[in-house]
Amino acid sequence: MIHCDGLCLQLTHRPVLADVTWHIEAGSVWGIIGPPASGKSVLAKTLCGLFTPRQGRLIVDGVDLPGLPEPDRVRVRRKMGMLFQNNALFDFLRVLENVAFPLARQNPKMPQDELVARAQERLRAVGLSGSEEKWPSELSGGMKKRVGIARATICNAPVLIYDEPTAGLDPVTTSKIYDLLTGLRQKHASTVIAISSDIPALRHFVDHILFLHQGRIRYCGPESGLEACEDPVVYQFVRGQTEGPL
Amino acid sequence: MAGNFFAAVGASVLNLCAEVGGILTLLFRVLICLLPPRFDLDETWRNLHKMGVRSVPIIVLTAFFTGGIMVIQAAVFVKKFGATSLVGWGAGYAVFREIGPMLLGLMFSGRVGSNNTAELGTMVVTEQIDGLRALSIDPVRYLIVPRVLSMIVMLFLLTILGDVVAIVGAALFGTVLADVSLASFWVSFSQNVHVADVTHGLIKAAVFGFIVALTSCHFGITVKGGAVGVGRAVNNAVVAAALGIVLSDYLLTYALP
Ligand SMILES: Nc1ncnc2c1ncn2[C@@H]1O[C@H](COP(=O)(O)OP(=O)(O)OP(=O)(O)O)[C@@H](O)[C@H]1O
Ligand SMILES: [Mg+2]
Repeated sequence: MIHCDGLCLQLTHRPVLADVTWHIEAGSVWGIIGPPASGKSVLAKTLCGLFTPRQGRLIVDGVDLPGLPEPDRVRVRRKMGMLFQNNALFDFLRVLENVAFPLARQNPKMPQDELVARAQERLRAVGLSGSEEKWPSELSGGMKKRVGIARATICNAPVLIYDEPTAGLDPVTTSKIYDLLTGLRQKHASTVIAISSDIPALRHFVDHILFLHQGRIRYCGPESGLEACEDPVVYQFVRGQTEGPL
Repeated sequence: MAGNFFAAVGASVLNLCAEVGGILTLLFRVLICLLPPRFDLDETWRNLHKMGVRSVPIIVLTAFFTGGIMVIQAAVFVKKFGATSLVGWGAGYAVFREIGPMLLGLMFSGRVGSNNTAELGTMVVTEQIDGLRALSIDPVRYLIVPRVLSMIVMLFLLTILGDVVAIVGAALFGTVLADVSLASFWVSFSQNVHVADVTHGLIKAAVFGFIVALTSCHFGITVKGGAVGVGRAVNNAVVAAALGIVLSDYLLTYALP
């Protein structure tokens, strides 16, 4: 589904991703973990063409994404839904309009009541019925996150990228969110990439893990193999030790 | 010491060139979206309302007192030389050609342009622009073009309104302060002010609207670095718009009939 080959990316003259080679099969569930500022969010944005790598190849569903000019990236992005780390809710739209927005843009002919019904159904799924008419600025952090998830998933895109889907949520809501994401994934057989610092919860949800450190891959493989990884950075991070290279 | 000075001057010049280049690139991208017109009508409508209708009170207030102030300034000499037959012409000529578009343009930049920069800048720092791009929406087509069109149209229309209100203000202040009757104000105004004076000012207004739109959008979408960056961008946008208005006013005054 997605193939990265030797991706290198610089931002403001500093290398942020270095030689990232990663293959994502259709239908697999990946978790990206790593210390802060290791390039996780940047990698996620690069996958949907928001950053253009300086070197390397990025093939998404058979299309060379960085080779496309911005207007032609549309057909690749339509296959992706993304939750941004700080949600990126449109503050000029109400909650319901935010959730319905991607659907309305992709299906300009869809009748208004169907749009509203689909958005309400998605809001109910994230436990936010009754907040349809609120503005994003009137929501708590956790509510914003859930609106972001509702918006990212409403189009049932084949590839879903969640940047910190459970940051700032309590354990109960976190479990509910992961149940919801699992349900959606099974229903639509989507490929999922989730970034999270809540490693135990994430490991329940995913079957593969990518570990990034300073823009480089330190581990890339099945979730079950993470314990056995001998890279000192991975070893320390996974066990949460204070002594070590980090 | 001298090296530092030249380095600083060089850096400023490079910076200026980068901004001008950015504005021209934006202009180019806006034109591409307009030929043939492909942009968001709902968003345009929303902006027309927000930028135009809500600016009416402040524009009316500014224009009314501007008209009045010109007559107050002139009143001393009008009385001294008995030049009452010149008041209507003087007010009309100055307001239509210069004071109206210029003052309202600066007012518009302060109210609408700065608001626009702050809004776009906040959208950049809160990743809303990335969010739009991830949804395959071209931010220029969806956000910028509607704003540019709205600002041109609205500054043009607001200037028409402002011109009328300023003349009314001038006539009223003239009656009260300079003993110029409404009838003689009207005669002087209608016999000496020509259509060309009005069109001259309105063309300027449209150009000023365009300048405010381009500078405010450019500085808005190129914001870097959080709330501080947004503040700096608003500052730069207002200064750039004022400079643009003054410079283009100078050129247009020569170029237009
Ligand atoms: N738009 C940008 N412009 C310049 N540098 C950036 C930009 N976005 C991120 N960076 C830099 O890239 C590096 C990686 O950032 P990124 O946001 O991917 O970290 P992260 O792994 O997601 O961290 P966190 O866990 O804190 O979210 C950081 O050093 C950051 O300063
Ligand atoms: Mg991040």
